[in-house]
Amino acid sequence: MTLKITDLVKKFPKEEGELIAIENFNLEIKDREFVCVLGPSGCGKTTLLRIVAGLETKTSGSLHLDGREIMGPGSDRGMVFQEFALFPWRTVRRNIEFGLEIGKMPSAEKKRISDEYITLVGLKGFEDSHPYELSGGMKQRVGIARALANNPAVLLMDEPFGALDAQTRNMMQKELLRIWEQTMKTVMFITHSVDEACYLADRIVVMTSRPGTVKEIFTIDWPRPRDRASVEFAALRKKILAELEREVYDSSSGSVRP
Amino acid sequence: MRAGGKVLGLISRDRLITDSKTVLITIASLIVFIATWFAISIYSNLAYIPPPDKVAVAFFDSFTHKDISLGTNMWDNIFASLGRFGIGFVMAFLLALPLGLAMGYFKLAQLFINPIVEIFRPIPPIAWVPIFLLIFGLFWGPVVVIFLGVLFPLLSNIIFGVKSVDKPLIDAAKTLGANRLQLFTKVILPYTIPFIMAGITIGLGIGWMCIVAAEMIGAVGGGVGFYINFMKDIGRFDFMYAGMVVIAILGLVTVGASRYVENKLNSRMGVK
Repeated sequence: MTLKITDLVKKFPKEEGELIAIENFNLEIKDREFVCVLGPSGCGKTTLLRIVAGLETKTSGSLHLDGREIMGPGSDRGMVFQEFALFPWRTVRRNIEFGLEIGKMPSAEKKRISDEYITLVGLKGFEDSHPYELSGGMKQRVGIARALANNPAVLLMDEPFGALDAQTRNMMQKELLRIWEQTMKTVMFITHSVDEACYLADRIVVMTSRPGTVKEIFTIDWPRPRDRASVEFAALRKKILAELEREVYDSSSGSVRP
Repeated sequence: MRAGGKVLGLISRDRLITDSKTVLITIASLIVFIATWFAISIYSNLAYIPPPDKVAVAFFDSFTHKDISLGTNMWDNIFASLGRFGIGFVMAFLLALPLGLAMGYFKLAQLFINPIVEIFRPIPPIAWVPIFLLIFGLFWGPVVVIFLGVLFPLLSNIIFGVKSVDKPLIDAAKTLGANRLQLFTKVILPYTIPFIMAGITIGLGIGWMCIVAAEMIGAVGGGVGFYINFMKDIGRFDFMYAGMVVIAILGLVTVGASRYVENKLNSRMGVK
């Protein structure tokens, strides 16, 4: 499923005038591609993802999923949230079944699918637990399973591991790649971690500071799993970090971008 | 192993000491209370301050024997009060639920209804008793007082619950394909249930105070409040106090039961 973002602009009204959050953003994400969007904080990367999800309106530009224009939220785009956003009164299974329930799926079918995704994300034995009984990493496994169970064309991930500790985070990245390889979804992944982007992505889109637009795109064709300790990894990380640092410096010193 | 056993032993002994301490202090407190009551009763030698033992006897007597002048025993009066209480409470719940959900969900509803609510809210429900008895009569008058007493705490809790729904939960439901109605039934309503339950607990406490006051001014078919006032009028003060003890127990039981349900529900709902 190809996701095409063309000349996207997002402005927020302010007391005086308006705030341009995203300006002329163009990106095409190919079928089964894993794209990380990286940018300094406040660059509008989360806003961008929320517009793709249909949770936020765009000011101008267009969004197409396989040629069809995106209008508002829809089950063809699954989203995983940084704060997990699990329904606290529902068990793991019932959280994962939420989208299926919305789609009025018969219960035998629902159970079959939720079983499948519970196994996929490694939550067997926790079907009947409530979110408060789970660790952060397990909560996000539920979040991923819930989004995938709805069989979306694209998986939108908004800093999904941002609330996890470093070790859990590394493990979840590995797990996500395993899950991605098994489901072969198109993924748009927002992060502010260069390391995470280098580890996960087919392509890394580096955004400028506000107003956010594409600054540079890095294509990574290394096989997975990637070695964080390798020389190429370090070199790429250094290059992207330098890019980001310049971006933050430019915007904080108030200089005008050419 | 030995060290572990020792530590364990210490902990349980500590807990035992604090537990028995709590019990001892509670008993001491009750003894002081009853002794003071005895002392006041004996030294004042007033008919309207009977000693606790007389009240205790009257308490049991009121359940086992029908009062000659009333023709009813305490059970009859309790059921009369509970019936009235139940009707008023259910009425308040049935109005507060849709109204509160609408006011929390639709800004327009809140803007329109809030001024009216704010005019009536500061008036103590009991202040309505005289006029309600005139308008609604001796049975429905007290019922409407309870209705008002329960309505406002319930309403504000429900509105607060709807307004405090986690935004990310709404977003998640939207991305999973929920429409507006499903957002309401599958996210907002379940999220609000613990708030509704908290409102019920508060409402029970307030409603209980209302009923006694309302029945004292007038009630048809008895009631514990009515019973207390009647016993005062005929000078049976030990029975008057027995009625007050019944009110205390019933209040404790209803609020306690509601709180129990609230806690059970909260843990089921994943609210810790």
